[in-house]
Amino acid sequence: MAIVRMNKISLLGLEADKEQIMEALMKMGVVEIVNMEHRVSEDEWSQLVSKDGNEAAVSHLESDVAKVKSAIESLSRYDTRKKGLFASKRTIDSHQYNEIICNQDRVWEVVEQISRYDEQLSMLRAEENRLSNLIATLEPWKSLTVPVEVNSTQNTIISLGVVPAIVDTEKLKQDLYEQIAESYLDVVSTDKDQSYLLVIYYNKYEEDVMKVLKTNGFVKVSFKDIQGTIVDNIRAAADKIKDIETEREEVEKNIAALVNEKDKLEVLHDHLLVQKDRQKVLSNMVKTDKVFMLEGWLPKDKSEQVKKRITQQWDCVVDIQEPDKEEEVPVLLENNSFVQPFEAITELYSLPHSKGIDATLFMAPFYFVFFGLMISDAGYGLLIALATGIILSKFKLEGMAYKLIKLLFFGGISTFLWGVMFGGWFGDIVDVITSGKYTIPPLWFNPLNDPMKLLTWSFIFGGVQLYVGMALQAYKFIRDGRYLDALFDIGFWYVLLTGFVFMILGGALGTVGKNMVIIGAILLVLTQGRNQQGIIKKFLMGLLSLYNITGFLSDVLSYSRLLALGLATGVIASVVNTMGSLFGFHIVGIIIFIIVAIVGHVFNILINALGAYVHASRLQYVEFFGKFYEGGGRAFQPFKINTKYINLEDREAI
Amino acid sequence: MDWVTMIFNGNALAAIGAALAVGLAGAGSAKGVGIVGEAAQGLVTEDPDKFGQALLLQALPGTQGIYGLLTAFVILNQVGIVGGPMKDLTTIQGFLVLASSLPIAIVGYFSGIAQGRAAAAGIGLIAMRPEEMGKGITFAAMVETYAVLALLASILMIFGINL
Repeated sequence: MAIVRMNKISLLGLEADKEQIMEALMKMGVVEIVNMEHRVSEDEWSQLVSKDGNEAAVSHLESDVAKVKSAIESLSRYDTRKKGLFASKRTIDSHQYNEIICNQDRVWEVVEQISRYDEQLSMLRAEENRLSNLIATLEPWKSLTVPVEVNSTQNTIISLGVVPAIVDTEKLKQDLYEQIAESYLDVVSTDKDQSYLLVIYYNKYEEDVMKVLKTNGFVKVSFKDIQGTIVDNIRAAADKIKDIETEREEVEKNIAALVNEKDKLEVLHDHLLVQKDRQKVLSNMVKTDKVFMLEGWLPKDKSEQVKKRITQQWDCVVDIQEPDKEEEVPVLLENNSFVQPFEAITELYSLPHSKGIDATLFMAPFYFVFFGLMISDAGYGLLIALATGIILSKFKLEGMAYKLIKLLFFGGISTFLWGVMFGGWFGDIVDVITSGKYTIPPLWFNPLNDPMKLLTWSFIFGGVQLYVGMALQAYKFIRDGRYLDALFDIGFWYVLLTGFVFMILGGALGTVGKNMVIIGAILLVLTQGRNQQGIIKKFLMGLLSLYNITGFLSDVLSYSRLLALGLATGVIASVVNTMGSLFGFHIVGIIIFIIVAIVGHVFNILINALGAYVHASRLQYVEFFGKFYEGGGRAFQPFKINTKYINLEDREAI
Repeated sequence: MDWVTMIFNGNALAAIGAALAVGLAGAGSAKGVGIVGEAAQGLVTEDPDKFGQALLLQALPGTQGIYGLLTAFVILNQVGIVGGPMKDLTTIQGFLVLASSLPIAIVGYFSGIAQGRAAAAGIGLIAMRPEEMGKGITFAAMVETYAVLALLASILMIFGINL
């Protein structure tokens, strides 16, 4: 099976050796260290041991990592070196690594410098914001020539203020002049929200004036922090912004000059990251004054190796045990290199339960066939396989990205094969170019001419996959010793469903099929209610279970998408070809054809590869997994060296 | 009586069918893609790195429009409006073609919108737990099943009509 068998490990060692032992475990990277915190609260343990770990050190390292990371990020903005779409980690040797780490003070200086520059930049940005806001508030008052600090004369008051734009300022002026003749109102400017007003009046009339104005929504505006005329202030602010811009350019230039240090910063970042992980894992362990202890999981086949390696070098006790039957074990999938990419599909759904089955192996061939069938164009398949093949060979991808790209690579091959079977080469491009003189004949048949045939085949593929899914469920029953369940829940359904298939085929088999359906139905009615109490309930539940036939029917019909999506690709491809050829085949026409063909086919590949990925996955998740799969496993997370930017050539260095 | 003959002209009916297929299914997709796009804008404002994931989800409700176009093209091709020569359809044949366009037209419109909503909820999912995107896609893809079935029905009907 493809779920790796796990063993439990307990390790007791001397506190003095802890550093080295942990380092060795980390480098091996095959042991998951589980949290022993709950032990400390148990009576028999609590007197003996205490929790290990230093939270202050962890948070200190965490803040260091964050500091270096933000420095790297601000450097990246000025890094003009080319970066690929799939950035892979740099490999450096231990000599370089040690040199950087031993001189990390110098690297820290750079980090500090960058953080100072960043601070400067953010201060400049804040100041610039303040100034542009100031300009924006002053702008409407631009035509005001009175200095802003002049707000009264001996007998008058000069008020600035705004009213909402909906207020008719002409009418407001009239109202004011009618009621207080000795006043002056001027509309300085108007925008879509507000009108900006200047009002002058005798100070003894202030109350009356304000009454008129306030009923129209007048709000006083005052400029406290500035002096002089508005225009001067705007000019001064604009000048300052210009200064800030030059200053900012200066600072940015300074940061950009440090770009060469980025590589070193990345090394430091990963170094700190590893240190942090090592500090952090300690909090899962317990210790006494002289001794420490850890518990964890490791793959069964690595157990002896790890034990030998640790006990040879240090004085310690390593105990390896098989897990108890009921215990939940972390899940690690292991498959050969052909099946491995399909783990991505399984993982995106849910890891199998530790007592379940890794479905990847059984799912892979179906996924392979379905993905290709849903695109089924030899030209497209070649392009997909070529593009992903180049990515795979040029970049060192890891984890999910690697699996998905490789999955697409296999998908491309499958697409090519189906394309050859159905005679699809960029749709009917050869046919179109040669005006029907040549066509590439399909190896099998052209689904456009006989869609019913492919529909039937789609149902057959679906039926096969459903049967396999049911067989896996039967396997699970048998493995757990539930033989009767396997016979009743799977075996009898096989009888009934196979009977239906025979009936559809007709002929002599049809009669056999009819009998099988009847026998299967009777057996199901008799057995499916077995968990119910009372004979009537048993019978009713048994009868009701026959309703599941509709479930099987809809499962099988769901595979019709194999045909539908396959046809969609082929027809869109020929639409592209037809559109391109509308202008005929003279020079301009050929150029148009080439452009239309490239754009159209690339679009078609992208949209249909997405569709094929989504729908091939769906068929696995809903139809296939629904029959037997048990998810919810917890991923195995070994204690290992986890870096972001670099790979150490020689792992001894960390 | 001229307009009656015009309305019941077989070729005109077929053309109406093609127009409905591409128009309604496309409208559904446009709405659906729009709904996801709005949700995605919000997500990308917070976290620009999730652009790729969000785009993938946004593309999902776009397929109905393609199915509609596909159906329309098959109709036009069968009738000979594209890739000629144009056949003369009887009124009955015209109605058959029109009927065959209806599954993808109707289901395409409604499933496009519904799938858009499901995918927009998926945007919320990847905002919190980007590692669970596979599940979000699956939920949205469940909706598309019915568009696929409708496409299948439409295409089988068109290919089945003797023109």
